[in-house]
Amino acid sequence: MKAKAIFAAIIAVIITAGCAGQQAAPNPTDAPASQAPAAAVTEQPKAEAPPSEEPTAPDAKLSITWWGSQTRHDYTQTLLDLYSSNNPGISFEASPSGWDGYFDKLSTQAASGALPDIIQMDYLYLATYAKNNTLADLLPYADSGALSLGDVDENLYSSGFVDGKLSGLVLSSSVVTFPYNPAVLSEAGVSEPTVTWTWDDFIAICQQVKEKTGKYGLSSNPIDTNILNYYIRQSGSPLFAPDNKSLGYSDDSAFAGFAQLYKTLVDSGAAPTPDEWTQINALGKEASPVATGDAAFTTEWSNFGVIVAAVNPDIKLAVPPYSSSGNKALWIKPGMFFSVAQTSKLKDEAVKFIDWFINSEEANAIIMAERGVPVSSKIRSYLKTSLNKQQQDMFDYIDLITAHSTQAPPPDPQGISEVNKLLIDTIDQVLYGRITPDEAAKNFRSEADAILARNN
Amino acid sequence: MKKSLRGYRNGLGYLMLAPWLAGFVLMYLLPMIASLFLSFTNFNMLSAPKFIGFDNYARMFGQDKSFWKALGVTFTYVFALVPARLAFALAVAMLLNSKRKGLALYRTFYYMPSILSGSIAVSIVWKQIFGSGGVLMTLLNQLGIHQKISMLGNPDTAVYSLALLGIWQFGSSMLIFLSAIKQIPASLHESAKIDGARAGSRFFKITLPMLTPTIFFNLILQIINAFRAFTESYVVTDGGPLDSTLFYVLYLYRRAFNYFDMGYSSAMAWVLVIIIALFTAVIFKTQNNWVYYESKGGIGHDS
Repeated sequence: MKAKAIFAAIIAVIITAGCAGQQAAPNPTDAPASQAPAAAVTEQPKAEAPPSEEPTAPDAKLSITWWGSQTRHDYTQTLLDLYSSNNPGISFEASPSGWDGYFDKLSTQAASGALPDIIQMDYLYLATYAKNNTLADLLPYADSGALSLGDVDENLYSSGFVDGKLSGLVLSSSVVTFPYNPAVLSEAGVSEPTVTWTWDDFIAICQQVKEKTGKYGLSSNPIDTNILNYYIRQSGSPLFAPDNKSLGYSDDSAFAGFAQLYKTLVDSGAAPTPDEWTQINALGKEASPVATGDAAFTTEWSNFGVIVAAVNPDIKLAVPPYSSSGNKALWIKPGMFFSVAQTSKLKDEAVKFIDWFINSEEANAIIMAERGVPVSSKIRSYLKTSLNKQQQDMFDYIDLITAHSTQAPPPDPQGISEVNKLLIDTIDQVLYGRITPDEAAKNFRSEADAILARNN
Repeated sequence: MKKSLRGYRNGLGYLMLAPWLAGFVLMYLLPMIASLFLSFTNFNMLSAPKFIGFDNYARMFGQDKSFWKALGVTFTYVFALVPARLAFALAVAMLLNSKRKGLALYRTFYYMPSILSGSIAVSIVWKQIFGSGGVLMTLLNQLGIHQKISMLGNPDTAVYSLALLGIWQFGSSMLIFLSAIKQIPASLHESAKIDGARAGSRFFKITLPMLTPTIFFNLILQIINAFRAFTESYVVTDGGPLDSTLFYVLYLYRRAFNYFDMGYSSAMAWVLVIIIALFTAVIFKTQNNWVYYESKGGIGHDS
């Protein structure tokens, strides 16, 4: 009996160890990063007198969570320290994390009523959380002036409305982009893309890169529906129907074209196979092939250049290719949000911090647009003078994109993570040669419609 | 007087038992009851559950292709892993049963993978060995064998590379075998030797039959464990490629925490409980045919 008990104990230990390990699960994006920017600003704060008008409640501890890479973790912590020293009595309990696993943990916290006071939220999940009443309505704070939106473009902050409630305050704007490594392109002897290039140009360039240098033309496979969304919008229809109960396009050839695009690239070796992509995807942005000079293009958000600046300062941002229809299909996406938990007991303090985060110059001098182009026009003009090359590129890119954009789609429907997974699986089946692009389009439609109908 | 003493003793017993009992009730019993209830609801974790009867179960068996896929993958994994792991554990236990110097050290070494390989770190190492551009591919390349696709990237082999990782966790079964081997009376072997039996036939005629209660015990334990495998597919392959390593528990986890489908996920958990119970029951039924107890009347081998 004793032996059995001991083994049971051992097994229990192994199992629990396994579970505990998952929380510390690998964080590819937490890989190497420069500490320089954060370290440079650490020293300045304490001299300044606290500008707080009203005395704050003593010893309020705000919990806050965000995803990001090491660079972001470092400067955000600096930011929190600065805020604490400006506002005696306010301290923070920070839970930084990589993107992977962030929303798994958040859903668990939401279920147990233990959401942090301040939550970095993505457009993907804003509707899901808001519709289930887990996020506080920030509109009353905006009305009372506690949250000052005077310098924020209405189109931008209204992206945070779900069912008439301001469920999150957008922190930045962001656009899909095809970042490229100019050195790889010149090595392959191809000229850099123009703003009106087409998918055919793109494929030709990628294949030439592969032929001349042996490197990837495009280093990524789809990871969610954003590029697909852009591709489908070029055909003139939205990806999701307005009521979110089904797909919004009726012509399956658009999806087939998207699948064929990746198939063409992967079959010719100009893009990684799903097998190779698994390894690349685990490297994190800073070590991704485009940043290290092992690929020409990737698909990313417009803050990519800023994020990898410490590794490779020469990354440029290309406008995603046009289709032969010539339709403008890009949109300026709310980059990320700060939301306040409905269960928070410190809503006033949380809102005050968010207000400081978007509107104050001292905060943004530390953030330096790493989360994307700031939403406040005042902050944008304040930063203009001090931007480095990558940040300037990002600002210019967003300005440039306005001419290539149409209205942004509404927040992604509930069930989006299952649709994202379905897209990845469907494209994988094409890339493994199990189904044709046309079959993929049919499968995707029937299964995506079922998911959307069930969730909305 | 006697009665109250007994009452006192019972009370004391329960008091001693309290920490375990509290853990059992709070961590197992209540959550299980809750999950049974939730399995009949539509529950997204953020809003209150809505009662929907057997809809989750109907959807699972009637419409959900991924459920069947996950079930198939898990069965493949269990059938590939458990016999191999037990055979390997027995083989190593036999080797370690000799009298050599430093045997305790060997035993420790051979047990180590069991502690390590449930961990994230080893799962990542596995990815580096069997993945694309990993150690295995590079080695084979150097030997002139060029592969287009890695073992983990190939939908036909990925689940077996995970089984390989599982086989490596043979330590606990090995230790149980080892202690059982030591309890086989030496006289049996001696008299067989005198009768001229070789090592091979002594193994099959004496050791193996005497070990059947232990094999039985290990078999049940390992089957239960294998059905519940999670970390391997979560970390090494994330269920891919093409869902070829989509373990049942990984799919259950995804439905709960990625797709906000906790009610359905609870239903899946109960289906798994039933599957494991059925398996265990069947193995128990068959034990009269193949398990040999030296002394009838004892419940098991461990005393």
